[in-house]
Amino acid sequence: MAPEPLVSAAAEVPAAKALSCPSCGGTLNLKAAGYTVSVACLYCGSVLDVANEDVRLITEYHRQAAELEIPLGTRGRLKGVEWEAIGYVERSEGGTYPWSEYLLFNPYHGYRWLITNGRGWSFGEMLTRTPEAEHGALWLGREDYQPFFKEGRAQVDYVLGEFYWRVRVGEEVRTDDWVRPGFMLSREQNGQEVSWTRSELLAPREIRDAFGVRAPRNPWPPLPHQPSPYVGDMKKLVWIGVGAALFVSLLLILMGTGPVLFRGTLPYALDGTSRTATLGPVTVTRPHQLIAIDAEAPGLENAWVDLDYALVDRKTQASYEAYGLAERYSGRDSDGDWTEGSRSATVKLAAVPAGTYDLVVDYSGQQWSGGSTPNFGIAAPAETLQITISSGAFFPGNALIALIFLLLPLLFFVHRHVKFEQARQDESDVGRTGVAKLFTSSDDD
Amino acid sequence: MQTFACPNCGADVTFRSPALPARICDYCRTMIVRSGDALTMAGKAAVLPFDVSPIMIGTRGRFEGAAFDVIGRVRWGWTDGSWNEWLLLFGDGTHAWLGEAMGHYMLLREWPLAKVESQLIRRLAAGDRIAVGTSADVEGRQLTIVDARNATCIAAEGELPFTAPKDWTIYSVDLRGADGSAASLQRDGQEANLYVGRYVTLAELAPVGLRRIEGWQVPAYGA
Repeated sequence: MAPEPLVSAAAEVPAAKALSCPSCGGTLNLKAAGYTVSVACLYCGSVLDVANEDVRLITEYHRQAAELEIPLGTRGRLKGVEWEAIGYVERSEGGTYPWSEYLLFNPYHGYRWLITNGRGWSFGEMLTRTPEAEHGALWLGREDYQPFFKEGRAQVDYVLGEFYWRVRVGEEVRTDDWVRPGFMLSREQNGQEVSWTRSELLAPREIRDAFGVRAPRNPWPPLPHQPSPYVGDMKKLVWIGVGAALFVSLLLILMGTGPVLFRGTLPYALDGTSRTATLGPVTVTRPHQLIAIDAEAPGLENAWVDLDYALVDRKTQASYEAYGLAERYSGRDSDGDWTEGSRSATVKLAAVPAGTYDLVVDYSGQQWSGGSTPNFGIAAPAETLQITISSGAFFPGNALIALIFLLLPLLFFVHRHVKFEQARQDESDVGRTGVAKLFTSSDDD
Repeated sequence: MQTFACPNCGADVTFRSPALPARICDYCRTMIVRSGDALTMAGKAAVLPFDVSPIMIGTRGRFEGAAFDVIGRVRWGWTDGSWNEWLLLFGDGTHAWLGEAMGHYMLLREWPLAKVESQLIRRLAAGDRIAVGTSADVEGRQLTIVDARNATCIAAEGELPFTAPKDWTIYSVDLRGADGSAASLQRDGQEANLYVGRYVTLAELAPVGLRRIEGWQVPAYGA
């Protein structure tokens, strides 16, 4: 029988290497053999150096290991990959703002971090690229990150399990953090090196499904990289508003001038005399419709025409009444030439039932004599009014009211969004920016 | 491919690359050096300490369209840890190194030092010690020294471009660029070698024949 070759090409290798703690004698299973440099004993907390074949005791402790929310050795599936928690670090800013970090390992996928401050969980990966600064932000590829925490100092307060570096309680690094919604970019620097970590905020459901731990649903104040929950609603409403506005514009274009039912002319003179004329028949067939009556006086100048309309049903004598005014003035003053008014007048009658109608028009024309304009002398000659009756015209006023109803919830979400952003950014070392700053009143400061 | 009998134990030893002179016997760990058809023994290589690296001799993959086989490994150690350098043999007979440390991978090819104009690299090659954090333009890449240390050969296996005796100590400098490019300069006494490349992910190499580690699922690409 041929001897087994000694090369790495064995069918399957064990996942752990056993060693015993030189301090308490407890058996430790090294999960990342070959990578792990130091181990804090799970039984007595002593820190061991396993960088070389011989296990050396670095710091001896005799204490009960902390009970962890995720016991080391627990496996969980995050982002489609199974991870095992192999190390645990407690860190703080000189004793304040404590947080915890779990070191996750998978031999085929390397290391990740699970970071929590008790209010949320993030999944971090050390970067092999370096972000670049531009326009006050940091760019990682196409992602921009805004500054959040500046010049922090993070110290190691407690360790347990295995690590790929020489871990030491009391070790301090300088930290800076940048955020974009849902993500944080962290820079850590000690005397020798700079490292960058990008972490993604996990949904409470993701961390619960993976490791069975609970995360608060709506932490307040929000986490630095927590996306505002109102952005989605605001966007939706803005899109609905844009859609509605487009629809209304389309309706206006299509229905602004409905089919013409009647066209006629009326003679008028600017003598103040009241005249009456009957136009028709005007036949409408839909159960209810809008009727627009347009009067145009092309030659009108420094004069007005009063128009009293009555749309009278031939059968029932039911009458729909409206009043119109065409007026036009012009002149010259110290500011130059001016004109005012319109030579045409449109009035609308809503919800006119089907039927055959006559339009009775009472009208009178009057020359304007109140001005000091020199460019008129004798009364203008008699002219004609062109009357157009059309149906189906659209009320833009109704659309406006609908838009206002859309705007109210939008304002509500904008308000909530601003409050959220202000609370989130008030935790930062940079202060408020963007909308949070825009809506900051002086008494808020 | 050439197969010989190990001059120490008689087992078959295969040289897959005609260009590489050194081979460690898979059975007795004798370091064999060939010149033409003549084999000489150059001591014994140490036994590799156990690790859970997913790579092993025989793992195959692709890098930028070119297929490679893993044919050798050197394991280096320093005061604060250790790492693997896997030797990759490409179909065209060239080779490259796949550095594996802290779960990250770097694929580097040897770069002719004589042609390098960077003063930083020239000074490092000449034996200067330059502070971590120093940056320079190296062959069109803006690189920063991230690490400089003495490293000692712990063990080796398979085929290698050099003999790797245990306790062989070199001075190793790692450089890194913002875009993921990387370089390494290794100095042994008066001699220096430069390796240039970039960070890669295991998934990107789509390796097959990965080492199976008990209780862990081998990724779909590496089954």
